[in-house]
Amino acid sequence: MKEKYDTELMRLVNEKHGHALEELYNRYIKLIYSFVMKFCNGNEEKTKEIIQLVFLRLWTTNSHYDPSQGSFVNWLLTITRNICIDYLRKEKRKTQHHQEEHEEIADPANVIEQRVNTNDITKAKNKLPTAQRKLIDLLYWKGYSLSEIAKLEQEPLGTIKSRLHQALKGLRKHLELEDIK
Amino acid sequence: MRRDCDHLIPYIANELKECERMAFVEHLKNCTECKKEYQELSQAWHALPFDYTEIEVPESLKGEVLGFVFDHKGKSGTETFMAKMSKLAIMLKSQFTPVSISIVAVLLLAIIGLGIANVQEKNHHAENIPIEILTAIPLKAANQSHPGTNGMAYIVQQESEKNLVVQVHELPGVEGSQVYQVWLLKNGTRENGGIFKPDENGSGILTYQLAEGQTFDQIGITVEPDADSIQPRGEKIAGS
Ligand SMILES: [Zn+2]
Repeated sequence: MKEKYDTELMRLVNEKHGHALEELYNRYIKLIYSFVMKFCNGNEEKTKEIIQLVFLRLWTTNSHYDPSQGSFVNWLLTITRNICIDYLRKEKRKTQHHQEEHEEIADPANVIEQRVNTNDITKAKNKLPTAQRKLIDLLYWKGYSLSEIAKLEQEPLGTIKSRLHQALKGLRKHLELEDIK
Repeated sequence: MRRDCDHLIPYIANELKECERMAFVEHLKNCTECKKEYQELSQAWHALPFDYTEIEVPESLKGEVLGFVFDHKGKSGTETFMAKMSKLAIMLKSQFTPVSISIVAVLLLAIIGLGIANVQEKNHHAENIPIEILTAIPLKAANQSHPGTNGMAYIVQQESEKNLVVQVHELPGVEGSQVYQVWLLKNGTRENGGIFKPDENGSGILTYQLAEGQTFDQIGITVEPDADSIQPRGEKIAGS
């Protein structure tokens, strides 16, 4: 039912109904805001700019949500994350402060994470071995590609790939998404 | 394990080039092993974004985001129209105390709704034509079983054209062919002012183009069994 409403809202957005975009904003801003804030290490100015780009993308391109490809929230967050990554990559290219970058990598914990966080995925992630957790932070939240991480960690790409495989398996297990045997 | 199967992880991490991605989508259809793995791993991947702490969203963000979007320079007339609208809203906002921020939000929404309706219905590109809000009329609940219903109506002028914008919140839901209908009362007679359906949160918006010289004394909103009422047949839910 909820998906159906989101699909309908997105259809209205594609037809340029401004109030449908506003409705999407009302429904998902809390999620998107928290997500982007984490991505930007709590930088409000960057967060605002990214969120503007997310809604601009929803409004101006004919990005069609296809319910058969998964839930609306996943789709929306995939778009949001892609924009975060593009934004941060452009920024990195601009600054090119190698040293600074290195410092950032040394400490994957960020401002937002230091607050008390008790949701299931956080707990599940904390049960992973350090190397797997670091990989997820670099890949998912810092926007490094698998091959960039291989270079940073001075390990073969294949090792990084299989580590991600293990990490996702582990998360699934800790989240109890596994079928009960 | 075939060579193609190696693409599973970069596929999940969204790192394949478009041609590789398409090839892998094909592969997924035929490789039962990858299909099973994909289902399992992508569940975990899609759980990752929820690893955050909920943060209060600043109230000013909505205006900044939607204003940016509708103000964005593009080819279509909608956006220039929107540019004007968001500027108007920002101007109004600076004149209000923080308490009336929600009124501005409602106003902005009403304006956005109007802008869209305007451009869509007439495909008329409103460039550099000022828009003026002539009147704002508060709407109150008229039915004891739904005392929370509230809203605002505006008469907005652009060039010689006047539009009525009605926005109502906390409306009871409608079923089947039921609709809400706006009635404009003038000297005891009721004229149709348009119909609308509320969204799932019970909010509804309507823009209605007033005929030249058309005036009215009061606004009434009723719930009607279908969209064909010439005179009200259902209960009154809200009014001025
Ligand atoms: Zn395979």
